[in-house]
Amino acid sequence: MSERISLEAPLDAAFGPVVRLIVGGIAERADFGFEDLDDLQLAIERLLAEAGHEGRVRLDFQLGAGRIRTRVGPLRESGLADALQAPDASPGGGLTLGRILATVVDSYGFELTSEGDVLVRLEKLAGGTPA
Amino acid sequence: MTRTDEPTSERASLADRELLRRYHDDGDVGARETLVRRHLSLVHTLARRYANRGEPLEDIEQVGAIGLLKAIDRFELGREVSLATYATPNVLGEIKRHFRDKGWAIRVPRALQELNARMSQAIERLTSELGRSPSIAEISAALETTPEEILEALEVASAYTTLSLSTGPGGEGDADPLDTIGSEDEGFERCENRAALEPAFAHLCSRERAILRMRFEEGLPQIQIAAQVGLSQMHVSRLIRRSLGAMRDQLG
Repeated sequence: MSERISLEAPLDAAFGPVVRLIVGGIAERADFGFEDLDDLQLAIERLLAEAGHEGRVRLDFQLGAGRIRTRVGPLRESGLADALQAPDASPGGGLTLGRILATVVDSYGFELTSEGDVLVRLEKLAGGTPA
Repeated sequence: MTRTDEPTSERASLADRELLRRYHDDGDVGARETLVRRHLSLVHTLARRYANRGEPLEDIEQVGAIGLLKAIDRFELGREVSLATYATPNVLGEIKRHFRDKGWAIRVPRALQELNARMSQAIERLTSELGRSPSIAEISAALETTPEEILEALEVASAYTTLSLSTGPGGEGDADPLDTIGSEDEGFERCENRAALEPAFAHLCSRERAILRMRFEEGLPQIQIAAQVGLSQMHVSRLIRRSLGAMRDQLG
């Protein structure tokens, strides 16, 4: 199975539940377990929360066998790149967006566009988190 | 109350006092039951104030009746107030506590509330049976509903009010059992990374901090955290989401 789904939504917090519901539906189609689904929803929710409340955001989902790749952005760079830096693995490394993403998805990365915005890639595998 | 009611009211109050005396002094349980029957109409009246808030009226009345029982048990015969006057805040308090503990911030269709509660139990059971987190399809099959309804019910969870994690099942007076988990909030709070959320970490209660540490510092999955803190996996999920949201809001 390889399907693509794209969504463009306002970055308004009022639309957060709508986005979460759609992400849940996509994860369900990929046969994700409850916790994996919840993790992906949380990753996107926290990412959008850090991106402010103005403008719009595009989300592209690619469903593969037991995996979902998500591209989020472009998002306005307002400290987002700093927050997305790979987390310090040492104790006391800090609860950053990077640490949250590293915990709840299997891999993530980001790049800056020529306009200086941020594009974020997330990959979540079904069963990536043992029960 | 009208003037013509007063004699009746006074007689009722005297009858209440005699029943209270028999119950408290003589241990007459029948007197207590009579008192409950005599004042159930008060409970019904107060419960109706809270109708149409997403809870069945019968449930609210039952909760209110507990408040009435507590009032009867706690009433001191030396008091200069009627039982009805004394019982009213007890009944209302019990009803309010019920709503607070149930935590529904907004009106959510009862069917979804019920599905949400059943779903939490189903996730626990299926996780134990399967040895992994169940899929939405498995949860919906177990509950004989559709995956879409399950997703909708999951979303309902966000309609919960922000119940403090320090509020135990018995109310505000309960000690937080998680005060014993982890002695210090070391780790996150030591970070000097300017992109970190730690400045808001201190504003969370001890249980929220403990759960975030377990999830993001120790990397424990929700199911293990749930087992450690004695909550359902869904509750842990909600609390993680809410805590992170609160931290973000705190930072502005």
